[in-house]
Amino acid sequence: MNEKPTSMGLTRRAFLQSTAFLGGSALLSPMLDKAGCLISESAAAELAGYDLADANNYISTVCLQCNTGCGIKAKIIDGVVVKIDGNPYSPWTMFPHPDYKTSLAETEKIDGALCAKGQSGMQTAYDPYRITKVLKRAGKRGENNWVTIDFQQAVNEIVEGGKLFKSVPGEEGREVEGLRDLYALKDQGAAKSMAADAKKVGKKKMQVFEFKRKWADYLDTLIDPDKPDLGPKNNQFVFVWGRLKGGRGDVIKRFTGDSFGSVNAIGHTTVCQGSLYFTGKAMSEQWAYDEKDKKVKWTGGDKFFWEADDANAEFVLYIGVNPTEGNYLTYRTPRIMDGLASGRLKFAVVDPRFSTLAGKAWKWVPSKPGSEGALGLALIRWIIDNKRYDATFLANANKAAATADKESTWCNASWLVKIDDKGHAGEFLRGSEIGVAPEIRKDKEGMEYDFDRMVVMAGAQPKAFDPDDEKSVVEGELLYEGTVNGHRVKTAFLLLTESASQKTIAQWAEICGVDAKDLEELAREFTSHGKKAVADIHRGVSQHTNGYYNSHVLFTLNLLVGNYDHQGGLIKAGTYDYSGGKAKGPFNYSKLHPVKLSPFGTPIIRNEKYEDSTLFAGYPAKRPWFPLASDIYQEIVPSIGDAYPYPVKAMILYMGSPVYALPAGNTNISVLKDPAKLPLFIASDIVIGETSLYADYIFPDLTFLERWEFQGSHPTVAQKAQPVRQPAIAPLVETVKVAGREMPICLESMLIAVALKLELSGFGKDGLKDGMDYFHPDDLYLRLVANLAFGEKEDGSDAVPDASEKEMEIFRQARRHLPKSVYEEKRWKKIVGADLWPKVVYVLNRGGRFMDQSKTYKGGMVANKYGKLAGMYCEKTATTKDSMTGKKFHGIATYVPAGLDCLGRELDESAYPLTLITHRRAQHTKSRTVSNYWLLDVQGENDIQINPIDAKALGLKDGDLVKVVSSSNPKGEWQITDQWVKTMTGSVLIDPGIRPGVVTFSLGMGHWMYGSTDVQVDGKTIKGDARRGKGVHANAAMPVDPHLKNVCLSDSVGASAVFYDSRVRLEKV
Amino acid sequence: MKNRREFLKDAPNAMLAALGLTALAVVSAKAADSADAKATGPMDRMRADLLRALVKPADQRRWAMAIDLRKCIGCEACTVACRSENKTGPGVAYRPVLVETEGAFPDVKRTSTPRPCMHCEKPACLTACSADAIKKAPDGIVYVDYESCVGLKACIPACPYGVPKFDEGGYFTDNTPKVQDYEKAAAYEMGVKRPRNMADKAPMGRMRKCHYCFHRLQAGALPACTTTCIGHATFFGDIKDEQSLISEMSRSPRVRRLNESAGTKPTTFYLV
Repeated sequence: MNEKPTSMGLTRRAFLQSTAFLGGSALLSPMLDKAGCLISESAAAELAGYDLADANNYISTVCLQCNTGCGIKAKIIDGVVVKIDGNPYSPWTMFPHPDYKTSLAETEKIDGALCAKGQSGMQTAYDPYRITKVLKRAGKRGENNWVTIDFQQAVNEIVEGGKLFKSVPGEEGREVEGLRDLYALKDQGAAKSMAADAKKVGKKKMQVFEFKRKWADYLDTLIDPDKPDLGPKNNQFVFVWGRLKGGRGDVIKRFTGDSFGSVNAIGHTTVCQGSLYFTGKAMSEQWAYDEKDKKVKWTGGDKFFWEADDANAEFVLYIGVNPTEGNYLTYRTPRIMDGLASGRLKFAVVDPRFSTLAGKAWKWVPSKPGSEGALGLALIRWIIDNKRYDATFLANANKAAATADKESTWCNASWLVKIDDKGHAGEFLRGSEIGVAPEIRKDKEGMEYDFDRMVVMAGAQPKAFDPDDEKSVVEGELLYEGTVNGHRVKTAFLLLTESASQKTIAQWAEICGVDAKDLEELAREFTSHGKKAVADIHRGVSQHTNGYYNSHVLFTLNLLVGNYDHQGGLIKAGTYDYSGGKAKGPFNYSKLHPVKLSPFGTPIIRNEKYEDSTLFAGYPAKRPWFPLASDIYQEIVPSIGDAYPYPVKAMILYMGSPVYALPAGNTNISVLKDPAKLPLFIASDIVIGETSLYADYIFPDLTFLERWEFQGSHPTVAQKAQPVRQPAIAPLVETVKVAGREMPICLESMLIAVALKLELSGFGKDGLKDGMDYFHPDDLYLRLVANLAFGEKEDGSDAVPDASEKEMEIFRQARRHLPKSVYEEKRWKKIVGADLWPKVVYVLNRGGRFMDQSKTYKGGMVANKYGKLAGMYCEKTATTKDSMTGKKFHGIATYVPAGLDCLGRELDESAYPLTLITHRRAQHTKSRTVSNYWLLDVQGENDIQINPIDAKALGLKDGDLVKVVSSSNPKGEWQITDQWVKTMTGSVLIDPGIRPGVVTFSLGMGHWMYGSTDVQVDGKTIKGDARRGKGVHANAAMPVDPHLKNVCLSDSVGASAVFYDSRVRLEKV
Repeated sequence: MKNRREFLKDAPNAMLAALGLTALAVVSAKAADSADAKATGPMDRMRADLLRALVKPADQRRWAMAIDLRKCIGCEACTVACRSENKTGPGVAYRPVLVETEGAFPDVKRTSTPRPCMHCEKPACLTACSADAIKKAPDGIVYVDYESCVGLKACIPACPYGVPKFDEGGYFTDNTPKVQDYEKAAAYEMGVKRPRNMADKAPMGRMRKCHYCFHRLQAGALPACTTTCIGHATFFGDIKDEQSLISEMSRSPRVRRLNESAGTKPTTFYLV
């Protein structure tokens, strides 16, 4: 039987088959029977099958309306996505989800759950304000006057530079340096050796004159030959991203680092939950041999964090996290709500705002913003005072001890920490300091190194041990204090006890602005569920100047019950490898590059040790350095503005909008609009946004429904997973030819075209090495999908099954609307090879790779384990100095007050009595859903929410218009250009669900670009849509650091951009 | 807060009082909460219930919907999913969610109440329609027959729940650079594929309301609001089937019906 699909895309055979499982096609007749009165006679003629429950009519891909990454079915009729539902294979949308091996025939009628944003997803692709051709500015930056230009011309201009804006008044003579001018150091060998020497110069282990003599032929490639540790001129090209996932992330890093040789590939982590990530990094540092530095050190910390296993926990303390409105809501909500309804789960919510979750909670604790660490220490104090901690877990000093107790994780609570003369806790005591000589070990290459051990008190004797020793169990005393071999020491646990005992519970409660009894109740409940109690935290904890310490306090609270890796405890994300690194193939990505450069030098965000730089000039530094963090979003543009550590010549911004998204993002504007400070600014965007407004060129990009990505996972997801985003519709942007191949204008085609023009290694002919070309985005992405399909075992035993012939046919049918430049079976099959092709199809048909529900837990633990030391005490943090104050950070969980500037001073904000926070509603994402009219229909505007007590004091009524003003923005304005000002005016909503003294607004509104404003393109006015500009966005009222003057407040340890320590006043308009 | 005002206007006192009640016993929720590996969730069970119901003659089944207000977080996923599924257009929503915040800090209470059609046993809309355009199927679904509806709007004041809406036509992307095709795409309401692309053709210019996604049921899929409910708060099935989850729900002491005094006997019910 060989049938063509009908106009509805459904064969008669498929229709009959699709009903067969109901018990036979005879069933159809009673439903259509006129006696059933369900349809009128005339309508019966038009009766059609339901096209949207047919696997031939959808592509399983991944949402990106927010960062949750739900699997979706993009349901397509006549080439148009008409409906989006959840992909049931993804545990994000279906709880519990069907096994991975389930056939498409069995799942085609099963839709998973999506939030309102996910349901509206096609509106991001089909946004009437999308840009489809390259735009070049025809006026001053920010004037909103554009011309469309040819793709290749744009590529030529940014590569070659020249007088690119000679028709713009004031820029007639401005010579722009192109990327070719910045691609200065191209010699792989020289770069590698220079990098090592430059580092020595920074550390004062090599003199500058020695360096200059040795590298005389290369000095013109450096930014400053007298400061070689700043690196080559290549670093003056900066690539910045907002939302970035795997695949595209690999391409950006490949282009910027491996091929162009710049260290400045910088992400947005700190604007999300930076200090949460970098607390996770600090706590996961391991005492191990570092292959790069050839010595044993604290190394290998992962930039990650933990969250609760909502599906199995019995008690969760949700602190500063919004799991039923913010990100991850689709995965978390059903697990929380089922638990609530069954009585399995009890929970409390700590949040100054009454979130939708707080509305369901056993207890709502509206603590003061910034007091989360104090709240945690109150609980810790109560737990220690009442001996309600898991002493067995805490005493385990090494892996063997943990294993003996059936724990996968252990901590350093019992380890001895040295205390200096000033009482500061520094390094752990080493074996060599109690007379136990370091062990001589050999690395993979046979090189010998010393392994010095850690020390605990065991049986009144100091004992040296290896934390990762799997054989001899080492347990230590928890509360030891004394002098060992002349060293004054305390256990980490004692340091914690002291930290928590700095205040009484009543005093901690006062800092939090809550009842001490509530805190005691929380502590009792938290210690009444064994390992199934969790403190779950997110941005409300981390986006303060004390965010790192807050996070460390609350993860330490979890250590006290030892819930790490436990079913119902604290869990982490796990992803299937798509790089081919684990199986060393079939396409091992790290090796798919012919000539990798070794980028070196100081990143412009300075995530290095200030003391190890030639720029070191005592304290304070000119701008802060953040050696314990990376991807410090708020520092990028202000650092460019201050040309510190060096001037930047060109920047590409991808899927980010720092002006809109950052606290005090308005400070970025004066830099972005000034070509003297940032000579070349290129944006990759889908619309003209609040930040791409200032770009010299905007390259249109593909939306999530038109492109590839490897979404990865989140700590809330217990299953190992790798959702794959793939093209579901024909691109709506212009199709161009790059090296003779058709492809849409997008991030990849832009980078490939620029790379080809610059003749960068790693792109084009043999770009992926060994005869594999890299001309088309598919050349790389399909091979990465093949890696994912092949699995993580070298022998192939971890591979997915081959797609059956039936599923191969579904795969083809579902792509019948895609142009050859996007999908062509012959081309795709050739890229991955005939053997892997049916496996690739198997993965793509299921929208990625997902662990079965039945394999998620084993023996009361999660299968996907953290499984190593978690630092109650973080030595690396304790031995690192704040670059502004010169003071050392704390290694143990500590409370410090929130809202301090970079010099550690309180801000004078006595005239601003209200604390401004922000929140997310389930209906919108931060900066990118205002184009979704269905979402505007349910939430088209936001308000400034205020408690009735404050409203009364200010004489405000519901609906009154108020302006948000602050000490750093007394006018309450966004100064968009010299002529264009937008005031931060919002409508008042009086709401008892907000703590008195705190006001809040929901994110995603108050736009002035993104289709809300008229723009000029090619001399024509494109009318903006006022619906997209409603509401208020009050980020510009958030404090500017009074010392630095052009950036928001930051956490000096974990580098978070600070939102929630903002003091404001509301002025009636 | 248009929702709140609308809620206060619409919601009967009995309902408001009911919303205040919490913490009653939950039927079957233990089974629904599938923490352990082999358990199946409420969605699996409802799909099985649906397939069982579909093999029966239409008049021997009775569709019903339950909404557990304790689990509803007011995210409006159902509102939007329904819009997308049924291509309802501006001004028409089959399943709005009404949100109410009450109390004084810190004793605050919030309730979110999805408001689909009640699919009454004695539908007032049906009685009010002189064009006989509102019909009741043997399995209980109350629907608008677009072939008969001439947009008289008599059903609007008749319905005690404010359910029927008139489709004025138009698109969300009107007055933008281009009206988008997804808005003109066909819906499959009552099993008929109708693009929403002609001002004089159904469903434009007709009364519109929820039909429990009849077209999806017919294809063996649960209603769009039910599948997309991220809180697992919406339940659907054949209430005549004693084994079904919806039947189990209907036996709960937490059951409340909206505005019962109107006497229309709603099929859609709430758990409070």
